[in-house]
Amino acid sequence: MLELEFEFNRAAGRTILAASRQQTPLKVVRAFAVEDGSALVHLHNVSGGVLAGDRLELRARIGAEASAQLTTTGATRIYRAAEQALDAVQQNHIRVEENALLEYVPDPIIPYAGARFRQQTSLHLAQGAGLFWWEIVAPGREARGELFAYDRMQLGIDIWTPRRLITCERVRLEPEATQLSSLARLSNYRYWASFYICRVGADPTSWLAAEQKLRGVASKLAGEARWGVSTLAADGLAVRCLARESRSVLQGLREIWNAAKLLLYGREAIPPRKVN
Amino acid sequence: MTTITDPEGGLAYLRLLHLADSALPIGALAHSFGLESLADAGLLTPARVPDLLRGYIEEAGVMEAAFCRQAFRLANGDFSATRWIAINQRLDARKPSRESRNGSAALGKQLLSLALAVGELGVLEEAWLLSRQAQCPTHHSLAFGLVAGALGLDEEPSVLAYLHQSLAGLVSACQRLLPIGQSEAARILWNLKPAMIGAARNSRTQAIDDVCCFTPMLDWGAMEHPAITTRLFIC
Repeated sequence: MLELEFEFNRAAGRTILAASRQQTPLKVVRAFAVEDGSALVHLHNVSGGVLAGDRLELRARIGAEASAQLTTTGATRIYRAAEQALDAVQQNHIRVEENALLEYVPDPIIPYAGARFRQQTSLHLAQGAGLFWWEIVAPGREARGELFAYDRMQLGIDIWTPRRLITCERVRLEPEATQLSSLARLSNYRYWASFYICRVGADPTSWLAAEQKLRGVASKLAGEARWGVSTLAADGLAVRCLARESRSVLQGLREIWNAAKLLLYGREAIPPRKVN
Repeated sequence: MTTITDPEGGLAYLRLLHLADSALPIGALAHSFGLESLADAGLLTPARVPDLLRGYIEEAGVMEAAFCRQAFRLANGDFSATRWIAINQRLDARKPSRESRNGSAALGKQLLSLALAVGELGVLEEAWLLSRQAQCPTHHSLAFGLVAGALGLDEEPSVLAYLHQSLAGLVSACQRLLPIGQSEAARILWNLKPAMIGAARNSRTQAIDDVCCFTPMLDWGAMEHPAITTRLFIC
């Protein structure tokens, strides 16, 4: 279990990591100050990856007016699970308070052959809260020629605003049981990513303009990838990416993040140092 | 339990046929739900249509069927305003593409309106008013389930009929986008029936909070649709 609490420190004019409770294997070393006053934290799994039977939990609260950036120290490796072993499970509970901002920009999740993983994320956004949240799923250890050899990957995310549930995603990938190469699913792409961009209470009519703007940005991205951008039911945008290799996913996400940050906050996104 | 040879059972059967008719005037022909973008990008070819639709039904089909069941049971149990709004908002949140979300809501609204026009069913009127007051969309699968439940139809045939109507609509869209003749279209739909039965069966045990759906290529198609300059479909 890892619990993080970020607060905006008025005297210092920046966000600080006010409290953290850590239980192996999830750790953070410290928070780094970002030029725009945000606090950057690297999420670290000291096991080197997620093991079968792990029960991981991340709880984070971004206090009112605070601005936090969370990233990983590297790809999240999901190790092989023995046949009788329990699935690895991660639960994320995130609360972003009034006018706070959370940027969650991790490296890809890489499921090894035989891996079984379930992740459920619930995000509660208060009035004025902002969110940039992406997840990237790799096909496996490509360098070893290990593609879609995992048993099962299950990812869920709910994003709530004070008014309603604005997005709910439930994904289960079972390469053995389902034909992932279906044109409805991945077709001949290997990587996929979901990116949610939200700001609660922004002018509803501005989202359509933001959708068009970001679609324009996405259409100019390099690499063999497909990018889709759409307004959510309220208060935000969803971005989908399908790609043949990881580099174009990360580069594209960073460009869209930057463009969206400029649109919503009038300032550029500052990628965490280790994002390449 | 009534059978089709009873007057009551026969009437239910005919009503279900009517509801599930792909020519039911609810505007289904105006929507491709992302298929037009896939065809426009050269990804959807006649040879890939069965594979695409099978993937659709295994993912989105199961999800929509699970929601359809919920609405059916709502009509047959204690209809609750809170629950009706909540399940529509949950399905709304499950649809990442604006155009597909709006398309589903347009079909649901038309279906509910049509059902209200042909019969006096209190629960439908209540649902209609609630959705208007709460400015909440009425999604197609939920409207179908609610109407079928309110008409006293059986749950399993109703869910299957919903899936069949949806697939027939997508096959029809493929015919207009691609060189697919009537016989080939009929064959595609015919061969998909076991998959529809499988989707209906899978949806029986799926809670709407947990039912999975992984259709990133279809999501991409639906999200990219506004960028197509000349379009046959609204979505």
